[in-house]
Amino acid sequence: MLDKDNRFTDEEGKVLMLGNEAVVRGCLEAGISYVAQYPGTPTSDIGETFQKILNEQPKLREYLIHHWAINEAVASSECAGAAWTGCRVLNPMKHVGLNVASDPLSVIALNGPNPGAMVILVGADPGSLGSHQEQNERFYTWMLHFPCFEPHTPQECKGFSKLAFELSEKYDTVFEIRTSTRSAHSRGFVELEPIKKGKAKGEFERNIPKYNSLPPHAINNHIRLYERIEKIREKIPELGINRIISGTNKTGIITSGMPFGYTMEALNQLNLNDVPVLKLGMIYPLNYGEITNFIKDLDTVVIIEELEPFLEVKIAEIAQKEGIKTKVVGKTYFPKYNEFSTGLIATNLAKIFDKTPSIEMNNAIEYFNSYKEIIPSRFPTFCAGCPERATLYAILKATNHLENTVICGDIGCFVMSFFPPQECSDLIICMSGGLSAAIGMSTKTDQKVVAFIGDSTFLHTGMSPLAEAASYDSNVLLFIFENNWTAMTGHQPVLGLTEQKLSIEKICKAIGVNWLKIEDSYNPKHLISSIEEALEERGLKVIIIRRECALQAHRWRMQQIRKIEEEGRKVQRTYYHITGCQMCYECARILSCPAIRKTEEDGYDTMKIDEDRCVKCGVCYEICPNKAIHKSIIDALDVEVPFREI
Amino acid sequence: MKFNETDIINVVIAGTAGQGVITLKRLIEFAAQKAKVDVILGSEMHGLAQREGAITSHTRYQKQAFEDPRKNLQSSLICYGDADLFICLEPVETLRRGIFASHKTSFVLNKRTIPGVMITADLEEYPSLEKIKEVLFGYSDKVYLMNATKLSLHHFNQNQQVNIIMLGFAIATGKLPFIEIEHYEEIIKEWLRNPEDNIKALYIGLEEGQKIINKN
Repeated sequence: MLDKDNRFTDEEGKVLMLGNEAVVRGCLEAGISYVAQYPGTPTSDIGETFQKILNEQPKLREYLIHHWAINEAVASSECAGAAWTGCRVLNPMKHVGLNVASDPLSVIALNGPNPGAMVILVGADPGSLGSHQEQNERFYTWMLHFPCFEPHTPQECKGFSKLAFELSEKYDTVFEIRTSTRSAHSRGFVELEPIKKGKAKGEFERNIPKYNSLPPHAINNHIRLYERIEKIREKIPELGINRIISGTNKTGIITSGMPFGYTMEALNQLNLNDVPVLKLGMIYPLNYGEITNFIKDLDTVVIIEELEPFLEVKIAEIAQKEGIKTKVVGKTYFPKYNEFSTGLIATNLAKIFDKTPSIEMNNAIEYFNSYKEIIPSRFPTFCAGCPERATLYAILKATNHLENTVICGDIGCFVMSFFPPQECSDLIICMSGGLSAAIGMSTKTDQKVVAFIGDSTFLHTGMSPLAEAASYDSNVLLFIFENNWTAMTGHQPVLGLTEQKLSIEKICKAIGVNWLKIEDSYNPKHLISSIEEALEERGLKVIIIRRECALQAHRWRMQQIRKIEEEGRKVQRTYYHITGCQMCYECARILSCPAIRKTEEDGYDTMKIDEDRCVKCGVCYEICPNKAIHKSIIDALDVEVPFREI
Repeated sequence: MKFNETDIINVVIAGTAGQGVITLKRLIEFAAQKAKVDVILGSEMHGLAQREGAITSHTRYQKQAFEDPRKNLQSSLICYGDADLFICLEPVETLRRGIFASHKTSFVLNKRTIPGVMITADLEEYPSLEKIKEVLFGYSDKVYLMNATKLSLHHFNQNQQVNIIMLGFAIATGKLPFIEIEHYEEIIKEWLRNPEDNIKALYIGLEEGQKIINKN
């Protein structure tokens, strides 16, 4: 195995990279020196890649800093602060992260990042492949004036990132790279160019009008921002980022990003080889001349873009202003929701051009539809041993299956709690939206109101609603899942908590929470009685579930066991097994542990523990109403390796 | 079957989280680079790692690109019905991605089933292997099954090598043209821990795969 990933050290050559890796490479070639982000799919692995190369190449630490920030708004202002000392900074976030960051970014955009450069990277998610919703955040580029590149290949991810830094510095403007779940995680070739060392130190120079966007400077800075955007608009044709695939057909297409690839392959499938295509590398601002020249001789221009019509509206506006009669269409034919595909585009282009889609494709769709009912569902779920799963079990038991109870869910692994069989979440809004909704709801209903929040979300935006709930003594039971990691996005550390610098328990007390219990869901009976007690009380109650994420805890325990065995010592082993099962399904449907499945033994149905999936949390053993789950300890006198305490 | 150098090769890889779908996909792509392929594009799903979810990846390559961009590989996603090869680490996941298959598709499947949580809760039914085969034979007669999990446990005492065994099995179909076995070996040495076991697993998959395919 190579000890270093040479794709981030070589100065030339052609390498394979994911879109996100290519963005990192582009930043290194641009001389980046500061990155801050809150993790969020599809951008978390940008930070992981930076962390990896900083570990592999410690010399980079002389000038490059990567911060996991506490939330997106903090990350954006951090980045601006570093840019204002003259550094080049990257601020990645997912599409909904931009909602959180939009407050500081609206001002940073006005001020401008000079003397440094600032690029935000926004990972969109058409099709909601890794998010709770699929909002079209492109409209922010228009509202806050971020010139925005939309790459299609990893080569473009790298090239556009690099160019964005140059332009950002030159025009004192925050630039955006807009990827999507698909482009961020698509792999392709990237041509390497030399890596440039970033600034180790800069200096802030006082400039009150520029950095204080308050009246009268706010208006002046707004005017100045327009001037910068107009200069960039004029410059676009020279950048060589938009390209035309020419053709003689009187109907043309304008598209960008991933839909460009689907469009080209759909045109090929339909044998439409004369349709002119304008591929936009930059979606905001648009150069009027470029658009006008492309559409003026066409009868119709079809805009192919995912989600709401963003380009369609802007291009129709240009046509109208320039007095061009070309018909601008898009959303008449294409959906405003979900991710696109070659098949979808081919089907709709076939209608527009009066063609027949390929027989193979139609057969494939038809045959698939003929049998799809037999495919069992497989939604993501809590891992075996997950402390959150065990908590949901305890809640279901303590509330007689949520009788007269509302669960205000939140973002985190427990976002999955609405799935069957547990179905233990009634609503989801956004990061810390559950607790906030609970405050309002609890004033208007006599139902028991329960809210969830994760440790990382608690620090992200959860302390503020908790302070409000404490002030009003809201009649809410809040569960804080302290599992020590930002688990859902791939186990980034929870700032402060993972290194044990802060205590959520102490924060709760300082905020004014009087009813507070620390519980361990691996002790479900104790937890159930605490929940019952809490629900009898009026006012704010907080239960902190303190138990490390089972994935991390299991990894750690296996490492310890290997280490001890390598030293020649023996380790005590625990096994759980089922005999005399009454098939009550308590473990499989209420706890719903994925390491337990139904099987047949000697002609009788019984539940069985999958040895290779069980992490020995012991919760099923604790809860089996028929005492049919047994625990055996082998080599009891040897070294015991329990899960670590956090 | 014979492929032209300008053909676009389309591979769907399916399985469940934690089975090594993404590693398998990367090995094919990096090996294709060693084979000096002109265009490689592939799409993978991140973000559901370890959470028992259904995972699918697309990988595509074209040995020699045309001058005309309209004829070339342009998207990292395969169109419906256009897959040449399905590599499935879990049987029912083949059906879930069936929309990408057609009469030209070869299927290699690992026999070991991983039930989702609705199956373990006994609230839904997992179709029999016979039923899965019957549906796939509706596409093409190139449907091959191997118990790669059993082989991995037998040879390596763990299920870590399932994906590499399945890669060997996939190579045996001849549906990964222009990439030589040496290219995979080089990549395994560069990118994986424990290359000896993984190269051994590759050959086990290849040899067992050839036996299964020749028998049909």
